[in-house]
Amino acid sequence: MSDDPVDDDGTPDNTSGDTRDDDPEASAASGQRRTARVRDRLERRVLAALALGTLGVLLVVFYYPVATVLVESVVVDGVVTLGVFVELLRDPFYFGDLARVFAGENPLTVARDFLGPDRRIGIIGFTAYQAALSTLVSVALGVPLAYLLARFEFRGRRTLRSLTILPFVLPSIMVAVGFVATFGRTGTLNSVLGALGLPPVELMFTLEAILIAHAFYNAPLVARVTTAAWESVDASAIETARSLGAGPLRAFYDVVAPQVYPAVLMGAALTFVFTFGTFPIVLALGGFQLATVEVFIYRLVRDLNYAEAAALAVVELVISLAVLFAYLRYEAKHTVQSGGVRPLPRKPLVPPVNTVREWLPRAGLGVYAVVASFVFIAPIASMILASVTGGDGALTLEHYRFLLDRQETGAAFQVRPWPAIRNSLVFAAASALVALPMGVVIAVVTTREYLGRKLVGTLAMAPFAVSGILVGLGLLRGLVFGVEIGGWRIAIAGSAAIVAAHAVSGYPFVVRTVAPGLESLDRSLIESARALGASRSRVVRDIELPLVWPGVVAGAAFAVAISMGEFTSTIVLATGADAYTMPIAIERFIGRRLGPATAMGVVLLVVTAISFVVIERLGGDYSGL
Amino acid sequence: MDSNGDDLSTTARNRAHAPGPDAPVAVELAGVAKRYDGAVAVEDVNLEIREGEFFTLVGPSGCGKTTTLRLIAGFETATEGTVRFGGRDVSGLPPEDRDVGVVFQNYALFPHMTVGENVAYGLNFADPPGGVTREERVAELLELVDLPGTADRDPDSLSGGQRQRVAMARAIAPGPDLLLLDEPMSALDAQLRERLRVQIRTIQRELGITTVYVTHDQEEALAISDRVAVMRGGTPDQVAPPRTVYREPDSRFVAEFVGDNNVFSGTAVDAAGSTGNDVLAVDIDGETLRVATGPGADGTGRGDEPNPDSGDRVTFCVRPEHLEIDRSSNAVRATVESAEFLGETTRVHLDWDGTPLVVRTRDPLTGTVAVGFHPDDAHVIDVERL
Repeated sequence: MSDDPVDDDGTPDNTSGDTRDDDPEASAASGQRRTARVRDRLERRVLAALALGTLGVLLVVFYYPVATVLVESVVVDGVVTLGVFVELLRDPFYFGDLARVFAGENPLTVARDFLGPDRRIGIIGFTAYQAALSTLVSVALGVPLAYLLARFEFRGRRTLRSLTILPFVLPSIMVAVGFVATFGRTGTLNSVLGALGLPPVELMFTLEAILIAHAFYNAPLVARVTTAAWESVDASAIETARSLGAGPLRAFYDVVAPQVYPAVLMGAALTFVFTFGTFPIVLALGGFQLATVEVFIYRLVRDLNYAEAAALAVVELVISLAVLFAYLRYEAKHTVQSGGVRPLPRKPLVPPVNTVREWLPRAGLGVYAVVASFVFIAPIASMILASVTGGDGALTLEHYRFLLDRQETGAAFQVRPWPAIRNSLVFAAASALVALPMGVVIAVVTTREYLGRKLVGTLAMAPFAVSGILVGLGLLRGLVFGVEIGGWRIAIAGSAAIVAAHAVSGYPFVVRTVAPGLESLDRSLIESARALGASRSRVVRDIELPLVWPGVVAGAAFAVAISMGEFTSTIVLATGADAYTMPIAIERFIGRRLGPATAMGVVLLVVTAISFVVIERLGGDYSGL
Repeated sequence: MDSNGDDLSTTARNRAHAPGPDAPVAVELAGVAKRYDGAVAVEDVNLEIREGEFFTLVGPSGCGKTTTLRLIAGFETATEGTVRFGGRDVSGLPPEDRDVGVVFQNYALFPHMTVGENVAYGLNFADPPGGVTREERVAELLELVDLPGTADRDPDSLSGGQRQRVAMARAIAPGPDLLLLDEPMSALDAQLRERLRVQIRTIQRELGITTVYVTHDQEEALAISDRVAVMRGGTPDQVAPPRTVYREPDSRFVAEFVGDNNVFSGTAVDAAGSTGNDVLAVDIDGETLRVATGPGADGTGRGDEPNPDSGDRVTFCVRPEHLEIDRSSNAVRATVESAEFLGETTRVHLDWDGTPLVVRTRDPLTGTVAVGFHPDDAHVIDVERL
């Protein structure tokens, strides 16, 4: 702020000469101006203070813990060394034949061997391989859904569209239980096959089951981003192409495809990163036979081999970030800005005329619907069905009774349902209370214009890309085991660390739901209110908050749901503690007793759904996701 | 053709409601400049807006008119200079303490409030003027803008023109000292715009409220204002009543921006006085045209340029409606290029040896015609001494 010429009432340096000591009105005005200035400054300070507070929380619960992991991987017995990494890189167990290249062998020899029959791809190779396949399957299942949602009009289209956000909030361990109930030896699939007189299939602990489960999670994501891009294609652009002589296919290829393709690629890149860091699904469906990097890090943590776990986590992070970075570079170059004023008209599901050209795409969608209902509906339905089916195939409530018995008679070391439910609810509420203000502040800070805004945005959204194991491990090693600062040992309880980890995984969703509302907020609304006499803080209360409220509510619902389903960092932090949550309870049951695991899964589903609906009642808007 | 005397009296007659030049100054901008990271938005702005005046800032996009309005409203702080309201420096005052009403181009109605709540919003911070209740004030204003009984409706359910009027009512409700309108009609269709500008003008006169209006539409500016500031490159080029701006533009820019015009440049071949008292002969590429220079630099408005000497470079303009076809003297021969039929008149584009001319006629023209003007109908914009 530049210096105001009028600093005090009627000081001689006031060159305007309008403010005189004997003019009460003028000196009142000057006083008013001074208070207004002070107020303006205070209000700016408040935002700065909130931003600093948020940064502090992020530093303590995210950057510091992650940094301790990084340090742990390069400091062995107090000596800085890259030894752990070098060993890791040269270990064929992790890197397969590539490790021989790192060990100094001729790349050509290695490449020749790699093409031979005894190639080894190692854990990292396998993780990348399954992620790539999962990405293909997800895109194959996601793009037809986007086509259906963007180009056709039918009853329930909007509902179906909003359902595509569900996988974000469905607890992954619950979905894994659903898949076990579907594909297990006595699962729904084999029952159906048996009823049809077909031989049973064994999909448990196979790559196929993992791929389908990954598609369950990521195909809706691909569909979501692709639909948004497809809907923003301007009809007049296609009409222009057609009028210039392009046929319908050519117009699609020249106008629609270039706008839709980057969105598909974005969905694919995100899917790859997510499935590269997959954990609960592989843990439940693949076991250690099909271990991915994340599962192996978990195993190393369980074996207290922290240095190697940390190094492996860093390698995983580098690969994930490299993929994301490559994608962002691509996006920056290829984003097509569309005017998008007039969307393409939607077609009815029943063709207006009986021609092959009208029927062919609809028939394709019909086939797709059958496959999709199997992938998306069967797991949840199977889980619910399995929870009420006994070993003899008859309907029973024995699994729920088992949970009640366990609650009453369970030993101290055994998992009991009520503490799991109670912990889940408490952690969810507490982490939402942390995540909401953090998310809102970051949304405000990242939607303002200033130098370095991009950097702030990237730093604030980094938790999106960092695996839960890494965060959990960092919190465990950094804060739960305690840090020494100036002779004081500071340690936080496992449950507090869980809340912190949940808040870290939840707040990016708050940012995503709140930011669009803030961004679309017309500056002239704020200016109008101020011209009408409202102070800056009053404008926040009267105008900005009511208008972004739906986003805040949606963010809260997400933060709660994410916390309830969070598994990866919770399982690291809940070791030994009795701070287990519903997903942890499911995991403890799943190995030995599928029935109670499915019953617990249904409990988790119901509790999550109720919480979501209760918050939803406050009026949420999810368009930002 | 009006003589100078007639000119002044018609102006005075048509501006019967306008505050005279001795009305107190409501808003003053003294040496105001606004720069963003070194880029100049406005510079060297010196304006005095009188109480009760309808004052318009007009200019092409990027000329700084909206920035000037935002500086008056307090949304921007001047990098240099002072903004005064009634002699009081308001430079440090935030917008909520300036007692201004603002109407934006997009109306900025609060979407989560009803029409009535929108209009009443400013009454949260100021008592309704005239000792009425909030409800009475809201009803009164909706009546004023011709939207009675709409208080319970959602802004979404209104048409563009209706929203614009609600925004007006909301801005006026707390009884501000100053009304600021930022292109409030540019999103509306032409017919509605013409109707609404009459309504805005009527309301402004009724309330006697000092109003600053921003528009890029010079026709609108001429139609609605007491005085107009034509802005260019961040600085007012000319500040004058509409008639003066139209008839006696101070610069080539104003001459060409406000309405159609024919601007000529040539060399003075006869010093003033030798061909008659007020008439100057100007040579343009071999053709000589005679131009009245007025009775000299005596402050009548026209002719405040110095009397040119022989050899000076003279720029003058003649409005299309003052160019006469088939004129025998003080004329040139030009070829018809194209014509636009506008209803009452036809705008004909001519070519005079590479110089484009524009003429208003009743009947369409073809071929080559003699086109000229009465020396009194020319206005000298600029004289460059050599």
